[in-house]
Amino acid sequence: MTSAQVFLALIAGLFLAPLAVGVLTGVDRRVTARLQSRIGPPILQPFYDIAKLMGKEPMLANHWLAFCSMLYLAGAVTSVVLFFLQADLLLIFFVQAVGSVFLVIGAMTVPSPYSQIGAHRELLQIIAYEPLLILVIVGIFLATGSFKIEAVYAMEQPLLFKLPLLFLVLGIALTIKLRKSPFDISASHHAHQEIVRGVYTEYSGPYLAIVEIAHWFEIVLILCLLSLFWSTSIVGLVLLLGITYFVEILVDNTTSRMTWRWMLGTAWITGITFSLINLLWLYYG
Amino acid sequence: MNFISNFIQSSRIKSPWVMHFDCGSCNGCDIETLAVLTPVYDVERFGIINIGNPKHADVLLVTGTVNHRNKKVLKNLYDQMPKPRAVIAIGACGLTGGVMREAPNVVGGVDKVIPVDVYVPGCPAKPEAIIDGVVKALELFAAKS
Amino acid sequence: MPDTLLFILVVVPFIAALGLYALRNDSLRMVLVLATAVLLTGSSLALFSHETAAFSTTLLGLNPQPLIVLLDFVVLFIILAVGLSAKHRLIIYLAGAQIVLLAVFKLVSPAEATGQAMFLVDPLAKLMVFVVSVVGSVIVIHALPYMKNHEEHLHLTTSRQPQFFAVMVLFLGAMNGLVLTNDLGNFYFFFEVTTLCSFLLIRHDLTDEAKANSLRALWINSLGGLALLIGLLWISLDLGTVNIQQILAMTPEAAFLLLPIGLLCFAGLTKAAQLPFQSWLLGAMVAPTPTSALLHSATMVKAGVYLFLRFSPAYSGTFFSTTVALVGAFTFLAAAGLAISQSNGKKILAYSTVSNLGLIIACAGVGTPAAIAAGMFLIMFHAVTKALLFLCVGTIEQRIASRDIEDMRGLYAVMPVTALIAVLGALTMILPPFGMLLGKWMAIEASAHNILLVVILALGSAVTVLYWARWAGLFMTYPFKGRIYAESQPAMTRLPLFGLIAAAVLLSFYAPAIYNSLIYPTISTLPLAMVDAVPGTSWGILVMERGSFPVIPLFLVAALGLIAAIYFYKVAGKVKPTGPYLSGAQSPDNENEYIGPLRQSILPATSNYYLEKIFGESTINRWVNTTAMVLILLMLGGGL
Ligand code: SF4
Repeated sequence: MTSAQVFLALIAGLFLAPLAVGVLTGVDRRVTARLQSRIGPPILQPFYDIAKLMGKEPMLANHWLAFCSMLYLAGAVTSVVLFFLQADLLLIFFVQAVGSVFLVIGAMTVPSPYSQIGAHRELLQIIAYEPLLILVIVGIFLATGSFKIEAVYAMEQPLLFKLPLLFLVLGIALTIKLRKSPFDISASHHAHQEIVRGVYTEYSGPYLAIVEIAHWFEIVLILCLLSLFWSTSIVGLVLLLGITYFVEILVDNTTSRMTWRWMLGTAWITGITFSLINLLWLYYG
Repeated sequence: MNFISNFIQSSRIKSPWVMHFDCGSCNGCDIETLAVLTPVYDVERFGIINIGNPKHADVLLVTGTVNHRNKKVLKNLYDQMPKPRAVIAIGACGLTGGVMREAPNVVGGVDKVIPVDVYVPGCPAKPEAIIDGVVKALELFAAKS
Repeated sequence: MPDTLLFILVVVPFIAALGLYALRNDSLRMVLVLATAVLLTGSSLALFSHETAAFSTTLLGLNPQPLIVLLDFVVLFIILAVGLSAKHRLIIYLAGAQIVLLAVFKLVSPAEATGQAMFLVDPLAKLMVFVVSVVGSVIVIHALPYMKNHEEHLHLTTSRQPQFFAVMVLFLGAMNGLVLTNDLGNFYFFFEVTTLCSFLLIRHDLTDEAKANSLRALWINSLGGLALLIGLLWISLDLGTVNIQQILAMTPEAAFLLLPIGLLCFAGLTKAAQLPFQSWLLGAMVAPTPTSALLHSATMVKAGVYLFLRFSPAYSGTFFSTTVALVGAFTFLAAAGLAISQSNGKKILAYSTVSNLGLIIACAGVGTPAAIAAGMFLIMFHAVTKALLFLCVGTIEQRIASRDIEDMRGLYAVMPVTALIAVLGALTMILPPFGMLLGKWMAIEASAHNILLVVILALGSAVTVLYWARWAGLFMTYPFKGRIYAESQPAMTRLPLFGLIAAAVLLSFYAPAIYNSLIYPTISTLPLAMVDAVPGTSWGILVMERGSFPVIPLFLVAALGLIAAIYFYKVAGKVKPTGPYLSGAQSPDNENEYIGPLRQSILPATSNYYLEKIFGESTINRWVNTTAMVLILLMLGGGL
């Protein structure tokens, strides 16, 4: 990479991508509203929410919460930047885990039963999706022979053809990461208030805003991973992302929240079976 | 910097997250309040979201009479809401104690315990009136901050 | 010069142990322990300045071989005597069999073999000596104030510290000997000494439980010792040499030798407490905490994984090697799962040790240069971090009189310094840019071509995150109550903690340099069958054929993030504190309590998810032990 490219990648990773995801979340809320025969909020609603939260009075039940929210953001941002710099996929994955772990620790610092339960549920979500993401990355390795992202871009055929089942597995991880039903166990993405929003309970005002922004970065990362499955043409990539996200919204609106036991079982059993089958195809195919 | 603070300022009115607290209502006003939050009225158009946690809320909707038992809870919830915040008292009970005001354990209206920004009368208050009350509160909100 | 260093590293601890046993004076003991620790640390560091070299020489002009033979029998007879006095049949049989076999071995073994190239100082040995001597010394120093408190707590009339410290120091000498020796016969001797030492340390408190658990440790490790001895006898009869380097140079051709190598590996599995042999290490936690720290980090279990790494060229590229990887990986996952269901802090640490050693063995089984490098990284970082965490738990236990992690909830408010160190220690186990994760990353990338293996590693890696993150968060769960003051501790308690956490962070930072100076020379010269490109470094970035890990750039980014977070924390200090959300029912006097029935204030209690129905010992122990047993049989069968 030349330094100009690095600069562009930094701009894209730090500013453009999260802004795009902000808009995407707005569209998401709008589409959800349409599916429920409502009109829904303005497209820019997520930005209003963040701005409002930023302007609220800071209030903390434990000062380490502030510390952890910042590290959550740092982990999420770093992983996205690493993706745009085309680093090692497995490394990117481990860096994003830093963010998730600090989100949990932050929630755990407050002895409120709601945030404690939320934190534990978040941990369960982490153990549900982490193996799946690792296996998707291993699948990409088996298909391209390298963990580096540039190897994916060197492919002549979209990865989707080689890794159809792993794409579905990534879909499970995506649903968990997007905090959408049926996997919105620890906290819902928006507008749901069950167990007073689990892992987010004690983050308030500007700290909640930071956590939301960090979550946008996490969504960026996972959408970037999705985009690798159609890396050969921009049109295909956009279509793939669009269709996948629409399916996510549909799933969100047609399913109800399940228990964590069900989530862990589904994610591990379906996810790992699908991955194994797909990996074996690659290995012997 | 000015642009940012202006944006924050204008965002406040566009994203009021409301929390509903039932003090000691006969449930008449609660039903009307919940009706407002259904898709029929689609308050998400205004960025309004019903939230269960005072730490995330901007607007507190209170229905019902305040009595000696629940006044502490009302105060606690209010105290845990970060500023700027607004309180809307709903229904005759929330305003003054309503039909229950003479009861021995009743303190009276919500404003006996916490400052109230908007009063929405009615027994029960109509959904349209409640929405109107929230919009009024937002205007005050913008002026307040 | 190097042979003086060897003398200090191996023989001096034996002499110091005699001295410590004889000394009954507290301050003299302290001086002697400190002096030994300094000597060991200094010589292990000095060893780095020497080239790889083999020494056929005698130590300081003496030929220690007859003495070793004598001591070998002494150790075995002591074990036999222990078995007899405890009426433990298994130990009697195992020790008896070993005595007979050892006598046979001494009679038939090639005479010239014992004299030559007795010690070998190569990068792998240097790394191990560093781990043993430096981490071990820190633990022994930390034990000084610890044991004083411990005995005060037990109200002992006569101090049993002389024996305790003698065995601790002896242990370090034996471990140094074990990793430095190039003579398989001597390897066996040191192996048995560590078995005996661990037995003595575990039973130190002389409670019924301690006695029972120490006997269990003794028989399981004697089983390993027997397997090692049979393998040794077999190899020496077949190849006519017990010189480890010669054996390694020969075995790729002599594929039929896999079974004796398999027996050696079996000994390694018992020593490293791999499933289904984990019970002795879990039982070992009845001992005073310094013992656990020593067994888990610097010594004992590391002997097991060292054996796997040392002999990896002998089996690399075979079916046997694949099964070794599976055995290790399975332990990695199963022990991590078992750790989830535990609330006893020491037990969590124990399962985590078993689990991480499984990962190291899996690396040895994968057997590519990158995998061996991962294994070496893991050995080093695991030793430092695990020693730190054990010392933390020990320090905490002496303060709060409990080792249950639920009792450590909100420990930050009581002992902030120790709690923060423990949190950081837990995080170095799971997060980048720290060394453990670097090792895990290398391990997964290196094994990505083996589908079953990588699936198991992926699951294990996620499960590991759960139990560490949960524990780290729990330390910080405290209600806000104004300023918190740092606790006071004796310097000899605090300095080891600071030293180890600094080492964990700094060694991670210098991982590329360590790679270049220690690991690269090892893996590039090992005669491995599975050769892929040897990883290299540039600009602090570790570059493998399959991917890259920018260690130092990541550290810089992490430092930036940390500075931002600390700034945020400082600013937050001015923020208005509020209580946790308790549905508005909190009491007016204390925001952390709520008004419950009968107007009583109740402190809400929360507890972790332990998922006992899924990961509890009673649920899965039987299954995982059976599976592990089957895998081990498969492994030994693969040696045929
Ligand atoms: S105002 Fe009327 S409807 Fe509302 S709570 Fe009071 S009595 Fe019920």
